[in-house]
Amino acid sequence: MQEAAKKISISALKLWYGESRALHGISLDIEAKRVTALIGPSGCGKSTLLRCINRMNDHIPGCRIEGKVTLEGQDIYAEDVDVVQLRSQVGMVFQKPNPFPKSIYENIAYAPRIHGIAKDGPEMDALVESSFKKASLWDEVKDKLQQPGTALSGGQQQRLCIARTIAVRPEVILMDEPCSALDPIATAKIEELIDELKNEFTIIIVTHNMQQAARVSDFTAFFYLGDLIEFGNTNTLFTSPANKQTEDYITGRFG
Amino acid sequence: MPQHTMKRFDAELDQLKEHILTMGGLVENAIRDSVESMLEQDQELAEKTIERDKAINALEVQSDELTRSILVRRQPAAGDLRFIIAAIKVVTDLERMGDLAAGIAEGMLRTRKFPPTEYSNLEIIGEKVLLQVNRALDAYSRGDIDLAMEVIEKDKKIDKRYKTMYREVLTYMMEDPRSISSSLILTNVAKNLERIADHATNIAEMVVYIIRGHDIRHVDHEAAARLLTEGA
Repeated sequence: MQEAAKKISISALKLWYGESRALHGISLDIEAKRVTALIGPSGCGKSTLLRCINRMNDHIPGCRIEGKVTLEGQDIYAEDVDVVQLRSQVGMVFQKPNPFPKSIYENIAYAPRIHGIAKDGPEMDALVESSFKKASLWDEVKDKLQQPGTALSGGQQQRLCIARTIAVRPEVILMDEPCSALDPIATAKIEELIDELKNEFTIIIVTHNMQQAARVSDFTAFFYLGDLIEFGNTNTLFTSPANKQTEDYITGRFG
Repeated sequence: MPQHTMKRFDAELDQLKEHILTMGGLVENAIRDSVESMLEQDQELAEKTIERDKAINALEVQSDELTRSILVRRQPAAGDLRFIIAAIKVVTDLERMGDLAAGIAEGMLRTRKFPPTEYSNLEIIGEKVLLQVNRALDAYSRGDIDLAMEVIEKDKKIDKRYKTMYREVLTYMMEDPRSISSSLILTNVAKNLERIADHATNIAEMVVYIIRGHDIRHVDHEAAARLLTEGA
């Protein structure tokens, strides 16, 4: 067994939207190159927490944060942190696929060009190809790279978005219910992709579907009303959870 | 069969099947060695057989662990679900078969001081039972329903042989009361073999369940055979 490497460390994280507190002091370590699933009923704070990891909550008026989030030991809320740089290290895939209204090729090339990761020409072509290959989409798009990204199916669009995230060479990929708009077959493809991507990236996934959490993750965190109720190895959490609330939730006995 | 989209699922199912077949191989060896230890009065072989049962038990635990993980993580359906349910049962059968074989070896150790002078049909029963186990595992490995049905059918003959042997040994006991203790052990050994064959039958029934989804346990053989031809 390899020594577990801590990629992200969250400690005593509290978050308020105006007067209401959404996170009550969350402490959680995320292991490198593993899949960590955040589960819990609506309003439990799982998406809020996910969005703290690449500072997506910064844009929300009235949002206030206490506590600490570190990426490889660096405080991501420190004053000198370049948020744009942070988001290229910590990419995000959203619930609904949101390709740019541009060609399939340009969807991938856009961000690396801006970040100066690759120059247009053969270098960019290679990056586009490798990103699509890693997202298991290359064979489906290689003959239509100039067509609009929106012409792809929902499942393909989501893999396009994953390829776009990969293209800027992040270390961490955040996924906010990446399959909730997809059919079971497209979902299975994304899940298989997640299984492959963890060889290279640290993945944190928020999902409403606990079966999906069981299928794709190595670690699972269960949240309820802004508290982290239980965190542990996915096999253990789903076979013999330590907490009664976790048991009730994952067995469908909640409320 | 086409592969699962989730490739790791295929790897896990393969691994589980491999565990079960490895267990099956160890069980076959244990039966062969335990019977031989009795026939040859080979104490060392008996002790080894008892020791080796631990490996079978360890594989049972490993298989169950893997099964649990597959149930939780892959949420198997249809043929995969039947395979998993069968795996849980087959592993239990194999573990019991291992225990029964170890029991035979223990029987050998207990007859050490007064070895039986007459083994009756033990050698033949041992061979027949081993063949049943071998075929049941073969049927499981290949998903061969015809072979599985053959195993189920032949179990009756094993039962008959056991009864014949039991009666024969009784006559020896009547002839010579000094042979009673070793004769009793001998009948227990034969009983263990007969039970091993029953577990082989269970495995064969699971093969039918995996492939066709029919539960033919506690159904008489002709009715089961009819059911299978109708569905074909």
